[in-house]
Amino acid sequence: MSAAPDEVRHIEAEAAPTRYARGWHCLGLERDFRDGEPHGIEAFGGKLVVFADRAGDIKVLDSYCRHMGGDLSQGQVKGDEVACPFHDWRWGGDGRCKQIPYARRVPLRARTQAWPTLVQDGMLFVWNDPEGNPPPADVTIPRIEAYDDPEFTDWVWYTTTIQGANCREIVDNVVDMAHFFYVHYSFPTYFKNVFEGHTATQFMNGESREDILPPPKEGRPPAVKAQTSVASYHGPSFMIDDLVYHYDDFDVPAVLINCHYPVDADTFVLQYGVTVKKLPGLDDAAATKMAEKMGNFIRLGFEQDVAIWKSKARIDNPLLCEEDGPVYQLRRWYEQFYVDVADVTPEMTERFEFEIDTTRPNEAWRREVEENLARRDVTSDATSGQPA
Amino acid sequence: MSVRPDNRLADGPMTPVSCTTCGARVEARKSSWEQTTVQWHADAVERCLERRASSPRSGPNGAAFAGCEALRASIREAAVRGDLTVQDGAPLPTNPEHPHPASPHPDGPDHEVIHA
Repeated sequence: MSAAPDEVRHIEAEAAPTRYARGWHCLGLERDFRDGEPHGIEAFGGKLVVFADRAGDIKVLDSYCRHMGGDLSQGQVKGDEVACPFHDWRWGGDGRCKQIPYARRVPLRARTQAWPTLVQDGMLFVWNDPEGNPPPADVTIPRIEAYDDPEFTDWVWYTTTIQGANCREIVDNVVDMAHFFYVHYSFPTYFKNVFEGHTATQFMNGESREDILPPPKEGRPPAVKAQTSVASYHGPSFMIDDLVYHYDDFDVPAVLINCHYPVDADTFVLQYGVTVKKLPGLDDAAATKMAEKMGNFIRLGFEQDVAIWKSKARIDNPLLCEEDGPVYQLRRWYEQFYVDVADVTPEMTERFEFEIDTTRPNEAWRREVEENLARRDVTSDATSGQPA
Repeated sequence: MSVRPDNRLADGPMTPVSCTTCGARVEARKSSWEQTTVQWHADAVERCLERRASSPRSGPNGAAFAGCEALRASIREAAVRGDLTVQDGAPLPTNPEHPHPASPHPDGPDHEVIHA
């Protein structure tokens, strides 16, 4: 099967799957759904309605009323039910129609789709399963202790809809070491992936890029020098990044969430959140500002990701060099969420490790940083801190 | 949606390696002395002593087992012996100021390979 050395390599790609991944998906911060209103969420190829009942439990139903197709998210929450704006049919959080004010009785089989929910650490999750099974007890999202820790800030949260890209693109990031330099302005020095069961982990240590940081100046707050990060996807869409920002004289632990849910095969909603440990002497406002600063740097990276995703080709046969991460093996792991449970094979879930040799990438990147710095020194516009 | 084979495996396949500590059998590949790929199977995970003795690290991702040092050393030894091909063909690095932490026998088989 060896191709002739001068044969042109062609990009191959099947259409993005129309099926949506089985697993827990974070829809956002729970507090945003607790205003007494129904909320419409376009997801999994359809539309969901999210509302809180009188006990404060958040419920998620298919948003289209089984009566005449009215959009429940445009209706009202009445008691423990969501009422359709079209004919006031009342739907309970269990998916059953509880009442039709103008009817003597509710018809048989008046049941719509209800999604299992989980509220944890300030976030709302729904369980998506094309086979309709409840979430297994061993498929969970781990607790994030920082959320309950008064020494950490509240979530600083970002939401953005990405059109024109399938969510596989963002999942690929977890193995794509080199893009962290080119797209996220970081400098990985150690990089290892481990896939096992339904988790995919990235161990990454990195340094800050001097050519990206603003030049040091009196009075300017100290900049992050390096970071140590352990980031795991728990299922197909929810990543927790447990990281420590290293400064000259101190460390700042932080937790970054990177999650998404599919809208359709070609659109997804990307969300990310940051919480950081408050430094001694910093009040809540200053600590939140610090989390926002980190969030804004992360946002810059994601915006650059988005620009790439929107213009890139979907590719099932990427041509990898030895300094790239395990893209194929990641996709093999990711495939488990797109097949029936009975069709999940050992290859998809068995433990796999891949440690990249960063020697050569680091030599090349050090040179590039030096060149950018030299260029910055000679240009008069030395304030932006961006590479030319 | 079927996943294709890694194009890099066409240059050098995964090779069976056994752990000299517990006997767990995995498939490994090294593109260089510093790069390592390891495919485990269920029996190896069960057999691995370090894995069994490990307890979760702190933090939300603490359940992820980072790797087995004994297996890492075994894979390196297999490469030093020549049983596992190092794809880039570079000699074993021997910078005395920067010895490799996982080097199993700094005065042993390393030299044989260097002078080979």
